[in-house]
Formats: sequence, C-alpha cells, structure tokens
Amino acid sequence: MKAIHYINQFFAGIGGEEKADHKPEIREGLVGPSLALNSMLNAEVTHTIICGDNYMGSNTEEAVNTILGFLENKEFDIFIAGPAFQAGRYGVACGTICKAVKEKFNVPVITSMNEENPGVEMFKSDVIIFKGGKSAAKLRNDVKVMADYANKILAGEELGSADEEGYFSRGIRSQVWLKSGKTAAQRGVEMLIKKLNNQPYQTELVIPKQDRIPIAPAIKDLSKANIALVTSGGIVPVDNPDRIQSASATRWGRYDISGTDDLESGVYKTIHAGFDPAAADADPDVVVPVDVMKAYLKEGKIGKLHKYFYSTVGTGTTQAEAARMGKEIVEKLKEDNVDGVILTST
Amino acid sequence: MKLEIGNFQVKDVVFGEKTMFNNGILTINKEEAIAFIKEDEHITDVDIVIAKPGENTRIVPVKEAVEPRIRPDGRAVFPGVTGDIESAGSGRIHALKGCSVLGVGMHYGSFGDGLIDMGGEGAKYTLFSQLINICIVADTDEEFERFEQQKKNTAIRMAAHRFAEYLGSTVKDLEPENIETFDLDPVTKRSKEVNDLPSVVLVMQPQSQMEELGYNDLVYGWDMNKYVPSFMHPNEVLDGAMISGSFMPASSKWSTYDFQNFPTIKELYKEHGKSINFLGVIMSNLNVSLEQKKRSAVFVAQIAKSLGADGAIVTEEGYGNPDADYILCISALEDAGIKTVGISNECTGRDGRSQPLVTLDERANALVSTGNVSQLIELPPADKVIGELEALARDGLSGGWENDEKLGPSVREDGSIIMENNAMFCGDMIAGWSTKTVKEF
Repeated sequence: MKAIHYINQFFAGIGGEEKADHKPEIREGLVGPSLALNSMLNAEVTHTIICGDNYMGSNTEEAVNTILGFLENKEFDIFIAGPAFQAGRYGVACGTICKAVKEKFNVPVITSMNEENPGVEMFKSDVIIFKGGKSAAKLRNDVKVMADYANKILAGEELGSADEEGYFSRGIRSQVWLKSGKTAAQRGVEMLIKKLNNQPYQTELVIPKQDRIPIAPAIKDLSKANIALVTSGGIVPVDNPDRIQSASATRWGRYDISGTDDLESGVYKTIHAGFDPAAADADPDVVVPVDVMKAYLKEGKIGKLHKYFYSTVGTGTTQAEAARMGKEIVEKLKEDNVDGVILTST
Repeated sequence: MKLEIGNFQVKDVVFGEKTMFNNGILTINKEEAIAFIKEDEHITDVDIVIAKPGENTRIVPVKEAVEPRIRPDGRAVFPGVTGDIESAGSGRIHALKGCSVLGVGMHYGSFGDGLIDMGGEGAKYTLFSQLINICIVADTDEEFERFEQQKKNTAIRMAAHRFAEYLGSTVKDLEPENIETFDLDPVTKRSKEVNDLPSVVLVMQPQSQMEELGYNDLVYGWDMNKYVPSFMHPNEVLDGAMISGSFMPASSKWSTYDFQNFPTIKELYKEHGKSINFLGVIMSNLNVSLEQKKRSAVFVAQIAKSLGADGAIVTEEGYGNPDADYILCISALEDAGIKTVGISNECTGRDGRSQPLVTLDERANALVSTGNVSQLIELPPADKVIGELEALARDGLSGGWENDEKLGPSVREDGSIIMENNAMFCGDMIAGWSTKTVKEF
C-alpha cells in the first residue's frame, strides 16, 4: 500500500510568509510531518508534495494541474493533506488539492483542519476533513487521527459515522444497523421517557435551525424607487472578470449597466454549471431582465434602475457562503440607497 | 379491556394429509388449502409455496403479510373483513408464531409491493426473512388493473387474510404454550400510582392517501381515507381491527402482520405502570390536501389534550408527502404542550444528501430514524424465486426500474438485482422492529 502526502512550504521547512509563493514540487520520501504520518500509517508514504500557500491561492488552476501532473504516473492508494490547523490559506489549499485528486484519481482523500479554518466550510461536503487542533502543537495528534482512519480504509474495515470517527459531516445521511440491536420501539419509548423527565436525549435526526428572514414591507411607490437586479444565475461579462466559480461559488461580481439597455449575447453569458446554458447565453436578459427593467424605467413604472447588477452562482454553493456574499452585496446596495431588489435564479 | 394472545410457536411448516398443528409442526393439506383459497372466484390460479429462513430464496412481488390466528369464541379474526363486525381487543385469540401468510403475485406487481430475500446478504433488509413464510402465489381476474402501476390487489390481499384465519383454526381448541396479556383499565378508572405517572398516547398514522377507495388501510373494514382521527384501544390494533393497504412503497409499509404485533405498542405496554401511564392510541390517518392534513392534526391534538396526555409518540406509515402530516401532527402536539417523539424513516436520496423529510420543523426535536428509503442495494442471484422476479423491474415497484442510465435494469439476466431499499418488504420496520438508524457521514 502506498500513500502520498501534501504539505505547505512552512511545514516543509522552506520558509514562512516570504516563501509562500513557492511553486509546487514533489520529493521522493518524507519531509516534515510526513515522517510522523509514515510511522503511523500501514502504508508507505512514497512522496511528499510541497506547495506555497499563496501560490496555491492565487494560481490555483496552475498549481492543481502541476500537482495532478506529478501524480499522473505514481501508484498510490490514498492521498493525505495537512493537517492545516487554523491556517486559512493552508486549509483551503488542502481542500482544493484533495478535491481535485479525488475527482481525477478516485482514491480516498483525507485532510484535517480546525473548525475555525475557512477551508472547512468550503470543502467539508466534498472531502473528509478531520476536526483538528488550533496549532502545530497538535500535529502528532491530528496526524494520528488521519492515519487511524486511513488504516481502516486500507484494511477495508467498516467505517464509522462522521461523529464516531471525528470528521466534519459531509452532509451524507446513510442507514446503519445499530450494534446495540436496540429496536426503534425501544429507542422511541426511551427517548420519550427522557423527554418527559427533562433528561438529556439525542434525536436521531437533527432538524437544522431555520434562519428565516422576515419579508420586507412592500414598496409604496415604485415610481420613486431605486431598484437593483441581483442574480444567482451566473450572468457575467463573457471574460468573467471576477473569476466567479461555475459551482460552489465563493465570489460575486457587479457589472455596470448604466449604459446598457439590453444584455446582449456574446457580451454577457452564464457561467452557472447547474443548468443548460443555451437559452441564457442566447439572451442573458432571461436571467437578468435588464431590457424589461429599462423599459419600465422609460414608462416611469420604476424611479431608477441601479447602475450595477450583482451576480454569483447558486449551484452547490453552501448556505454559509451564500449568506456571507448576500451580506456583502447588501452593504453595497445600502451605500447606493437601493430601495428594492429583484433577485433572480436560473 | 383485557386481551389474551395464546401463542403457538411454529417450528416447521410442511405439506401433508391433514391440515393440523402438532408439536410445533404446522401441516397443510395443499389440495384442500388451494380449494379454500379458490372459493373466491377472482383467484384464477394459485399455488402455495413455503419459504424458510436461511434458504437462498427470493420472494417478489409481495403484497401482504398476515400472522395466522383464530378466535376460539368464533368471532372473526379481522372484524368487518373476514367476518361480521364485532368489537376486537378483548377476550382470547390464538396465534401461530414464527410464521406468516404472504400474498404474492404469480406474475404482476404494483407500486407498493415488495421483495424478501430469505437468506444471504439480502436477508438483513426485512424482518420476514426470519419467519417461515407460507406464500399464496396467485393470479386473479382483476383485469382492470393488470397493467396499472397502482393496484388494489384486493383478491390476493383478502386471500391472505382469509387463509391466515384458515390456518389459525388448527389451534382453535388447543392449549397455548404461553399467553401474553394486554390489559388497560379505562382511562378514568386507574389507580393513583398509575395516574401519577406521565400520561402517554401513541398516535398512529396509517396509510390512507388514495382518494379512490380500495387501496387504503382499513379500520374494522372501513377505508381510512374517509375518516377522521379517533381514540382507540391498543388491543384493537393488536387484535385485527386494522388491515394493511396496497399503496405505500414497501419499505415504509405496515403490513397486517405489523399491526398484529406492533412493537411500539408492546414497548409502551412494558413501561405502563412503571414509568408511564399508557392512555391508548389516537388512530389518525394520512391525507393528500393540506386542509385534510391540518384537520387530522387538529383532531389528534385535541384528543390528546382532552385525555390529559403529557407525552406522545407519533409514527407514520410512509415517507415523502406523508412527512407533512407527520411533522404537522408532531408540531400540533408540541404546541399543545405535549412532549412528542416521532418514529419514521428518511429519504435522503441515492447520494444521501437530500433533505431527509419533506417538511422540517424545529418543534420535531426528538425523532427516531428507522432507515433510508433510497439506499441502493445490490444482491446476487437467488437459487429460487417465488413469484416473478421481472416484476421488480417491469411493474413499477417503488424501488425498482426497467432501466437506468448509470445502473442498468433492476433485474439482470443472471438474476442478480439492484434496487432501492424502497421496495424491501416492510424494510424500514417503522412499526418499531427496526434496529437501523440513519447517521451522517
């Protein structure tokens, strides 16, 4: 059995912030934390891949392609990255490369991060991310947790749930047989008795807290209102200047339409990967109706059409990322005294 | 009200000269039995096949399961169905344990029909692999629905009920090996010690969503689509007042066998007088329109409140649309100040990432999960098939398909199968048998 390990420039001993632009390299054998990993894993860590965190962050596509190229002729049964602790760029790098390796080579991938690491929210649904410590003081511990789980995978042993194993849930709910053999009838009655006696109990299906935002009061006089268009339908200028991702977006953009009466095909397009783009590419107004809004403006139905439309991609985008982007966009809209928004999807 | 169930453990079922029960062996005169089943002229062809635990046998399409029983005093086992309506839930009934009568299609299946594997990997997916199954494999003259995805399956289901009573009659005059007693004093006539315990109701939501009659669960022979919730004694449920229907996808179904042995009722009985005061059952139903769903929830909450319930367990025979009834009912009870637990399965999709119930509400904060409808199951060929294997793929069973772009057909040429748990007969054991749960990965 063989494993390959990904670490950043800092843990490879190359340097800190000043070396964060270090380009990807692959070394035979063990570097830094790979030593610990190799000693705990029932597989040989044959190679260590090293990449600067900034390089991965700002040249993601090149970095990923280079590393996937390194792996092309290598034999490996499992790919492990990190642990990344609270280091944000390192965490995002571990998530990025694990996801890419899993998609390309279809091998198990594992990483570890602290819950505060933004990489958790971005990649937890795609990659098994163990709940790691805050700093490198927890290195041996975090490596051991990953190695123990990797050993189970390599041995073909039964794998526990996210809670049992200690990784962030990927949001996959699957049926399992309880080792206790306790029936649903017994569990239900037991849960009820605890609930009746105000004792703690654990529901088997946690209903997520619903974050409901009350609907805003209606605009009394549209003819005086400043209206903005916002979309999760991925309409952008054809060169996608803000490099908004086609799925699982973390970025948004705004585009000046003050001099445009119509979003023309060839000038604008959709980069949304979650629907057939043919109709939206042929006429982007079907997603962001600038043409109709301009007509309303001329008719006097609305007072003003805000000079920018805002765009991101909704498909696969986590609720947390969507909420963050929404809040950022609202700030801008408020600065510009927008009264109302037409939010379009796909 | 006091019910005694006299149990006779069935160790083996064989064909022989005389239909009788002796020393744990149930012997069936096949010719006579077939003649009895054929008394219903709608049954055009029938065979009886015995399937035993551990055999490499696959049974499909299974429409109904019934525990063979008889009432020594001559009352019908299923009042309003196999005989006149008389009150169920009191007196003595005799039961042949460890076996069930299955109603199986000789050729055609329908949406709610299921599959049972008696041995191998597939056996763990249903309770019925642990029972000796006396299979009525039949075809009928119900031409109006032969090629319909939704079938009432009336003739085969009724044959199963009648035949269960027929077999039960072998122990009519025998002395049972043991007697289970289910006894509850009237709600207002209980001792102080019992009254001081937290009072609990069980709210049952049997399947009744077909507006056209004939598909739904029956209460004393009455179609539960035209019904509003009422208060019932748990003994009535255990004693044949309830009959399963022919609509809900198999893994979410309560067969008549489930009603006769309802584990959640038995568990509440166990705690009665110890940690709870088990008031009884509020028998609700499942509906289609929101107005109907709300009406039932209003009835349930009112009855529970008027009875002085402190706690409730709500359980639904279904998933998908009926989750709305389930969650609405739990929320209505919580709003009435009644601490409530739900027991049901989930449907999280083949990738496990879909919302587990159709509607969610934070008030449903104590839920037991009995399985995942959409879990994919792949099983090797079986040596023997009872019924017709192709039905799983061809006839629109909830967990089968004729072809799938990625997965191919449910039934392969070599007899191996790929299906969703959805079509495992009573596979999620929502009546309370389930030792499964659903966890996050």
